[in-house]
Amino acid sequence: MTETPSRPPVAVLGAGRFGVALTRAAARTGEVLVWSRRELGFDSPNVRVTNDFAELASAELILLAVPSRHAAQILEAAGHHLDGGNLIVHVSRGLLDSSEHPADQELRTMSHLIRTATACRRVGALAGPISAEILSSAMPGAGVVGSEFPEVVEAVRGAIGGPTLRIYASDDLRGVELAAALTGLLLFTIGFATSPRVGGNLGPATIGALATRGVAEVARIGRALGARVETFAGLACFGDLFAAVAGSDRPELELGRAIAEGATPSAALERAGGNIEGIEVARRVAEFGKRRKIRTPLADVISELITGRLTAEDAVRELMVRDVGNE
Amino acid sequence: MPQPEPKRSRVRDLLTKPIRLPQWFAAPRSPDEPRIFQFNDERDLVVSEVAARVVGQCLGDQLEVLLNESAHKEIERLEKQRDDEAREWLGFWQTVVRKLARMNEAERRETLRQIVESMARDVAGNFDPRVYRFAQRVIPGLIAGVMNPKQLTRDAIGGKVGAERLVTLTGHLDELAALAKVGTIIVVPTHSSNLDSLAIGESLARKDLPPVVYGAGKNLFTNPIISFFMHNLGAYRIDRRIKSQIYKDVLKTYSAVMIERGYHSLFFPGGTRSRSGMIENRLKLGLAGTAIEAYARNAIRARHRGERPAPIFFVPVTINYALVLEAESLIEDHLKESGQARYIIEDDEFSQIDRWLTFFKRLISYGGACVLRYGRAIDPFGNYVDEQGRSLAPDGRVIDPVSYVSRRGEPCLDPARDAAYTRALGVTLVEHYRRETVIMTTQLVGHVLFRKLVMETPGVDLFGRVRRRGEISWAFEDYVRVYSETRDRLRQLARAGQIHVNSYVETYSAERAFERATDIWDGYHSKTVAHLDGGQIVLDDPGLLLYYQNRLVPFAEAIAGQHEQRAAREIAALAGAGR
Repeated sequence: MTETPSRPPVAVLGAGRFGVALTRAAARTGEVLVWSRRELGFDSPNVRVTNDFAELASAELILLAVPSRHAAQILEAAGHHLDGGNLIVHVSRGLLDSSEHPADQELRTMSHLIRTATACRRVGALAGPISAEILSSAMPGAGVVGSEFPEVVEAVRGAIGGPTLRIYASDDLRGVELAAALTGLLLFTIGFATSPRVGGNLGPATIGALATRGVAEVARIGRALGARVETFAGLACFGDLFAAVAGSDRPELELGRAIAEGATPSAALERAGGNIEGIEVARRVAEFGKRRKIRTPLADVISELITGRLTAEDAVRELMVRDVGNE
Repeated sequence: MPQPEPKRSRVRDLLTKPIRLPQWFAAPRSPDEPRIFQFNDERDLVVSEVAARVVGQCLGDQLEVLLNESAHKEIERLEKQRDDEAREWLGFWQTVVRKLARMNEAERRETLRQIVESMARDVAGNFDPRVYRFAQRVIPGLIAGVMNPKQLTRDAIGGKVGAERLVTLTGHLDELAALAKVGTIIVVPTHSSNLDSLAIGESLARKDLPPVVYGAGKNLFTNPIISFFMHNLGAYRIDRRIKSQIYKDVLKTYSAVMIERGYHSLFFPGGTRSRSGMIENRLKLGLAGTAIEAYARNAIRARHRGERPAPIFFVPVTINYALVLEAESLIEDHLKESGQARYIIEDDEFSQIDRWLTFFKRLISYGGACVLRYGRAIDPFGNYVDEQGRSLAPDGRVIDPVSYVSRRGEPCLDPARDAAYTRALGVTLVEHYRRETVIMTTQLVGHVLFRKLVMETPGVDLFGRVRRRGEISWAFEDYVRVYSETRDRLRQLARAGQIHVNSYVETYSAERAFERATDIWDGYHSKTVAHLDGGQIVLDDPGLLLYYQNRLVPFAEAIAGQHEQRAAREIAALAGAGR
């Protein structure tokens, strides 16, 4: 039996760890349709699994939980069945791959892809310190939905919000998406700085300084791309960052630790596991900053670190010897 | 509250009130004629619908605040104006302020209704098919005839009218006839000159497409002859001096009601003429944004009747001039930091008849100096439409546009949603403008020369650069090489569908392009823009070079060679400097 039978079915596209957690959370409020290529079993009668994109059309809200690199292909296939009545909210923490359009040096977000690959216009992004555990086991927490359309936020609240999960609204979709993507860089930095190897020289105060200046850096990039600076002070950026400092298990942290301990970039990626969406953007952010004359010291150093052009010791020195300006 | 009795003065009426022709000899109606031909019969209905809707939207305390705010803004404006309008209305507004606190809800509503109705009447246009037919037949030839009678005789023999020599039409214009029959067309062009609305009107008439209604600044109505034509051809008057919220609501509601009733419309979504010469890169859409609410209202009504609403189409158009009538005033205004907020330039070239004459003379003898490019029609949600006006998803599938204004299958009104759609439409239109831009010779020559100026003045800001009048010169042979390379890159972009180039850009050599550009500039602009002196090009007026080259700002990096990338980046950064 559903608690609120009036809610139209919610679809979840993708059944990775986060997709499954979203499905569990949404199954507490009503009917859920999960699109997956794999056979899956859920213990809730409210969940139905399908591999037919055509079935998505019956859902009002579609939660997109596939890795950024597969999104284009999946959205194109799903797009054949969707129209202006479907609301799509993604949980991507990455930026769009620019390798298909090398001339396109803009940092594009997932909502751009949704709008160009499908007829859907009412689009949103769910971000903040929401982990798979919070969703699955109904632990208290909060997230933010960035969307210019109030009905999108309302639909997400109706699907996964409730007494244990507070869903805040922001009309700065761009800001929420960029905050979600760029915070990955900051998490990497924290992982790096808290590693015992580097951490010998770096205390909590250093981490505080790194994290705060890091937020200022990603907010500068966000502003250059039309986002609001305040959004970076919210759940999508600071919220995620505090969770990391308090010990969340985001893979970017592990990646930072592995690099700090001298692992090669490929070995570090393997050790961190998971789909690390945020970290590959370091190079692009650094290039973007150079082109648009925006200071991006962290992104510069991270892109050098993960390509192996800079050692951990040099990285710290590099960050400290720069000119100091106003906060 | 009694409204002021207008003071009678026949002379003033002739100068300020729109002149209409008596209806004695009006032609009988034909069933195929465009909707606008019947506008005069519906006029009162439109005005009362606007009044009812605006009054209906304001309730309770909000109404008192609205009246109070509007009254104070109007008093402030009228006290400054000190003209006949002030003498008529100042007393009325002062009374509103005095009595407002003692009014009950019904009295407040009645006051608002009076204000709104009077505003709506002032805004509402007129359409006289006879004036339209006269304008359609006579004006294009007249312009050409006055400017160059000999050419007119030659054109008449060759079957050409003057306007065809002035304005080249290209793009997706032929699809519009079918779309105009099934839905409402909203033409949304780029805006560089006050001549734009005339150019659009002429292009539609030339293709036998129905005329469009459009809002024109009240300042354009001061000339009685222009006022006569504008007022009888569906233009409605917008007084940009009025800042009160009630007036803004009236304008928005008026345009929404017109779109709902199926009147094809013209809006300049950039708001005012581009001061910098750049293609609009941020659109507020303003009144054009009312189309989405209009569509939602039609969808709700149609649902009640069990029908489908008539679709609404946005048609992006780029208006590309080799020579811009008001270029000098516009760029001067752009470069004045404080000037950028000004909507009305009172004394620009548009109001100077001798400048008109020189301008048109130059244009007529030049050939192809203005290109109007019509883009493909889209629905209000940014989807392309097919030839029958059906909305298409990116995969080409027909979709129902009502789904965008529906929640759980039912169409509904939602101002926040519609505002979001409007912003998204603004972004989409900017992309269309960019792709549909046609680069003219003066723009490309201007760009290559200005880029040289940037390369020669490292570390100097824009204002410093435009002061370098006649200081920079460039060997002509170097220009020839660089121009040719730049043009080739531009052609590649054109082939990739990212932009269009004028036929002269396509075929002319660097030498002939320079000649063509300086020729048209010299014959019109009061200052020399660039000239050739003993094998050296002298850059005389960086301000005008900037104005013409600004059209290429979004493409600066893509058309620059390795050596010019640094300068190109600086030029590309101008896009952030606004309109």
